[in-house]
Amino acid sequence: MLDNLNQDVSILQPSLQMTDSQVQNRIRQMKMEDPDEQTCYQKFCNLFTIEYYREYFDVTTELVIAKVVNAFNPFSGTFFDIGGGIPELYGPFWILNTLIFTIALSVNIIKYMQLKPGEHFEYQFEIVPFLAIFMYLKTLIVPMIYRVALKCVSQDRLTLLHCFTIYGYSAVVMIPISLLNSIPNPAIQWMLLVYVLFAQTSFLTSNFNQELKYLPKEKKYMIVGLVAVVQITIMILYKFYFFSSFNYQQLGLVKKRTNTHILQHILGAN
Amino acid sequence: MDYTNQKNPQNYSQMEDLKTLDLEESVSETIMRDLKMIAYKLKYVLIPKEQEDNGKELRNWDLWGPLIFCLALAMTLSFKADSTTNSSKSDVFAIIFVLIWVGAFVVTLNAQLLGGKVSFFQSVCLLGYCVFPINIEAIIIAFIGSYLPFVVKLIPVIICFAWSAYSSVGFMASLVPPHKKKLAVYPVFLFYLFLSWFSLIV
Repeated sequence: MLDNLNQDVSILQPSLQMTDSQVQNRIRQMKMEDPDEQTCYQKFCNLFTIEYYREYFDVTTELVIAKVVNAFNPFSGTFFDIGGGIPELYGPFWILNTLIFTIALSVNIIKYMQLKPGEHFEYQFEIVPFLAIFMYLKTLIVPMIYRVALKCVSQDRLTLLHCFTIYGYSAVVMIPISLLNSIPNPAIQWMLLVYVLFAQTSFLTSNFNQELKYLPKEKKYMIVGLVAVVQITIMILYKFYFFSSFNYQQLGLVKKRTNTHILQHILGAN
Repeated sequence: MDYTNQKNPQNYSQMEDLKTLDLEESVSETIMRDLKMIAYKLKYVLIPKEQEDNGKELRNWDLWGPLIFCLALAMTLSFKADSTTNSSKSDVFAIIFVLIWVGAFVVTLNAQLLGGKVSFFQSVCLLGYCVFPINIEAIIIAFIGSYLPFVVKLIPVIICFAWSAYSSVGFMASLVPPHKKKLAVYPVFLFYLFLSWFSLIV
């Protein structure tokens, strides 16, 4: 088809006839847009354009809201039926950022409530970068674990991006719970945490179950068990790192900025 | 070029024409002219009645205004942070600075990924100019906040947050197709909420 380009055009009118260089330019342009003809280098460079990622943000407001509402329901198992089960990254990313904000907010509220009267309120901001890094790593690594596990039981319908999507949306339960966690009663805090654990795990397993219905029982339980164990680990980390009633300095998590001490330590070690 | 309006330019394009006279004027004149440009754009962005041409003025984006407001906010908030609290002055300054620029970058990237066809820096410029109400609120709270109860402090915070969000939402919502408007607006809302909460706490 590309070879006949000049002949086809010249049939129409003499004024539309392209010169040789114009034909070559047009052929090169068409080759660049044709994915099969692209070189390996060009395909790699596509990774850095915005258009490459646009297909993962192809959502409407109603779709996102429907998915969020579905994520609050731990038993429905219909998450992948909404919107045709197309994986997307908008929801997970912004739910993650909202979650970081609400956890930082509630950690500060907890600290404020623990103030004795007359004490000056010391806000806690060092927690924010640590929290952000922890959340981003968690959201990157855990879906990969799920995808590897699904691959082990040779389930190929759910790709890595599907795992990212469902894991991101499962975190939405944590948002109101972390706000409620600022209530000072420890019994309520533990109950809320158990509820989150239960809700997230059953949401994930009931959705994976739809895809895993046709597998033998042992493999199903393996996947369910893996999901539960990962969630329990993360909940324990939440409780003892972020929502504990300890003084954060005692935990050794944050130290006061003591540049001079670090310098003396370095100089002293030499 | 309209020479009759040389000393008092009526709009931004006439200000542009004056740039040819740059080399002959004193430093204070140059700085005052730049400050007037920033003030003009600020009024344009923050006072909705001034926008008669649906945001076309924003095509002349500049990053000086956002930089000035970002530095002012970071300095105001770090002024209150002293060594008795957990965060030192430089921590707070760094967090605010990075937060504003990276936040504006991420919000603009989000709008572009959702299908918006706006130039990247136009949107960063707008988000930077809309940080100005948060600046006002931070200054109010920094200087007279310690004498006020918490509930009274909330009032200017909420007003300024609503003002920032309202000014930038109109522009951001016009970038994306209609069924994605709320998706593009929500990150802007979260960005200004985080900044307002920050200035309230400090």
